[in-house]
Amino acid sequence: MRAKGYFGGFGGFYVPEVLVASLKELERDYQQISQTAEFEAELQSLLRDYAGRPTPLYYARSLSDRAGGARIFLKREDLAHTGSHKINNAIGQALLAKRMGRSRVICETGAGQHGVATATACALLDLECEVYMGETDVERQKLNCYRMNLLGAKINVVKSGSRTLKDSINEAMRDYAATSEDTHYLLGSVVGPHPYPTIVREFQSVIGTETKEQMARETGGLPDALVACVGGGSNSIGLFHPFIDDEHVQMFGAEAAGDGIETGKHCASVVVGEEGVLHGSRTLILQDDDGQVSDTSSVAAGLDYPAVGPEHAHLSASKRAKYFGVTDQEAVLAFHLLSEAEGIIPALESAHAVHLAAKIAREFSKDQSIVVCLSGRGDKDVAQIAKLEGRL
Amino acid sequence: MSRIAATFERLAESEEGAYIPYVCCGDRGVEFTGELMRRLSRAGADVIELGLPFSDPLADGPTIQAAMVRSLSSGFKVATLFDLISRARSDGMDTPIVVMTYYNLIIRMGLDIFCKRLAEAGADGILPVDLPMEESADLERIAGAHELDVIRLVSPTTNDERMAQILQSARGFVYAVAISGVTGQRDSLPHSAIAMLKRLRDKSDLPIAIGFGISNQEQVRQAIAAGASGVVEGSALIDIYARGLSEGEDGALDLVEKHAREMKDSARAAVASREKRS
Ligand SMILES: Cc1ncc(COP(=O)(O)O)c(C=O)c1O
Repeated sequence: MRAKGYFGGFGGFYVPEVLVASLKELERDYQQISQTAEFEAELQSLLRDYAGRPTPLYYARSLSDRAGGARIFLKREDLAHTGSHKINNAIGQALLAKRMGRSRVICETGAGQHGVATATACALLDLECEVYMGETDVERQKLNCYRMNLLGAKINVVKSGSRTLKDSINEAMRDYAATSEDTHYLLGSVVGPHPYPTIVREFQSVIGTETKEQMARETGGLPDALVACVGGGSNSIGLFHPFIDDEHVQMFGAEAAGDGIETGKHCASVVVGEEGVLHGSRTLILQDDDGQVSDTSSVAAGLDYPAVGPEHAHLSASKRAKYFGVTDQEAVLAFHLLSEAEGIIPALESAHAVHLAAKIAREFSKDQSIVVCLSGRGDKDVAQIAKLEGRL
Repeated sequence: MSRIAATFERLAESEEGAYIPYVCCGDRGVEFTGELMRRLSRAGADVIELGLPFSDPLADGPTIQAAMVRSLSSGFKVATLFDLISRARSDGMDTPIVVMTYYNLIIRMGLDIFCKRLAEAGADGILPVDLPMEESADLERIAGAHELDVIRLVSPTTNDERMAQILQSARGFVYAVAISGVTGQRDSLPHSAIAMLKRLRDKSDLPIAIGFGISNQEQVRQAIAAGASGVVEGSALIDIYARGLSEGEDGALDLVEKHAREMKDSARAAVASREKRS
């Protein structure tokens, strides 16, 4: 008997027995609930009236001119409520939790963006919310912690392991194993055991579905390439997935190469990771010779994760998508470039995608087009960059 | 007959409950682990569970997590596990050894090499904590070829249909998880655990060891009265030697040994009193 939730040879369901019953129930309830017209209608109305969808598709003329090649379009997830794509999944799953009869929601967060999105959706839907966040991240993301508190969420500071995102996922799973009767675990990316990579992808696919319609209207056709940053991989899968069968649309993922792949201080798990099992999923992982998971590093806290969603591992193995490392330095340059060229301050995570797009644009002609997922806005990162550059 | 099966057969004949301590490899040093195994065996441990430390132990509570962090930060390597086992065997220790591990450590070495080295070192079983039955066909086949038992877990939330399927492929003994959650000490057995033991007993003749949250003799009596063949104890042992270490390593080991004897005594007595009652 083969478990469900495989993408090629990746994915699956590698969890302790105590989690099996809850995850099977989640799978069943998701399938039933998400297909009802009622759920769909409520989700669509919240995405439109509350989250501000559809987000614009913007032709970045000045960025395109500077890059010198293809026309670059930005899918403006930074303009969604709470400032990133994370809200798409948070609203979808919170609505699901509500209909599953859960009164409490838990989640993990690294940078705090998913924590803020979840706290927001819980405030909206009157759900109790607890956020697991590593001690290291709490220190570097004080403002987002305050935002979560304002929204009524409780932050549980995680002091185990490396005290970052991966440990927060461990801690949230431990909580869920003991509390799933009244609690939903609202996982923030396309990682973890089945059914999460599928559920999160479905809620994020709105990005690509809208893009397809908008491009048809704008250019009368499909884009030639898609570019997105890849942490766990949710904004990228959200953009890519509706185009998977459009063979001529190329796909590029920007992973965080930190100080440079050769230094070992990065989190480019597709580029250099190796197959293994982490957080319930068979995927590509940064690990040592024994199989212990590596500590990672990136200027963008939201990309700082030692593995990647299993569907990306599959897209890479099957060569449907290509993945490249973008260093901290390149991302910071792109952060400035977009701010100056377009008057848009991108999240540092998204700046990785901007760099990669500007670089590959040169390999395309002026009548071709590239869509970049601008996954979030950079307000949260301004203080960090000012400090890095000695201006604060 | 496997060492595990022979052990449970002997226990059944002499009407004793099993006492199964869990040891986190490399915590307080590899020498300490080796000595701990020796003392536990001497105190009457019927099976020893050797836990491999993993960077992301999501099924373990704070005590075992901390032990794993200590072990890994002192440089523990998976290869040391095989040395520990083969040394114990060459010192004449005959207690069955089951290796408890997260699956990534097995995948990393390669299923075949991992199982081969375990078998050569003298281990008797593997307990993969994060490998449910849906994903375990490969490991079962390869472990079987090396005559290692793959120990299966069930939990209070495992329904009857699934329990029956798990039991079909279970070898050696069944590991019943006493709580819906992670390892760590609790005062008594929850009702759901007692109910799970009864359900298991109805379905299978395999020995049942119950673990997660076991730390005292009252729980041993409760568990065995409800149909368990024995108990597994982990976090509590780590806490005991942590407390004892202020007296030096020997003092800590003495405390563990004394506690282990008491637990084994309760397990021994509990079966007899269950038989009398029924
Ligand atoms: C703005 C932004 N982009 C991207 C990411 C990375 O996540 P994913 O790869 O799941 O889209 C994050 C995560 O926090 C984020 O905040």
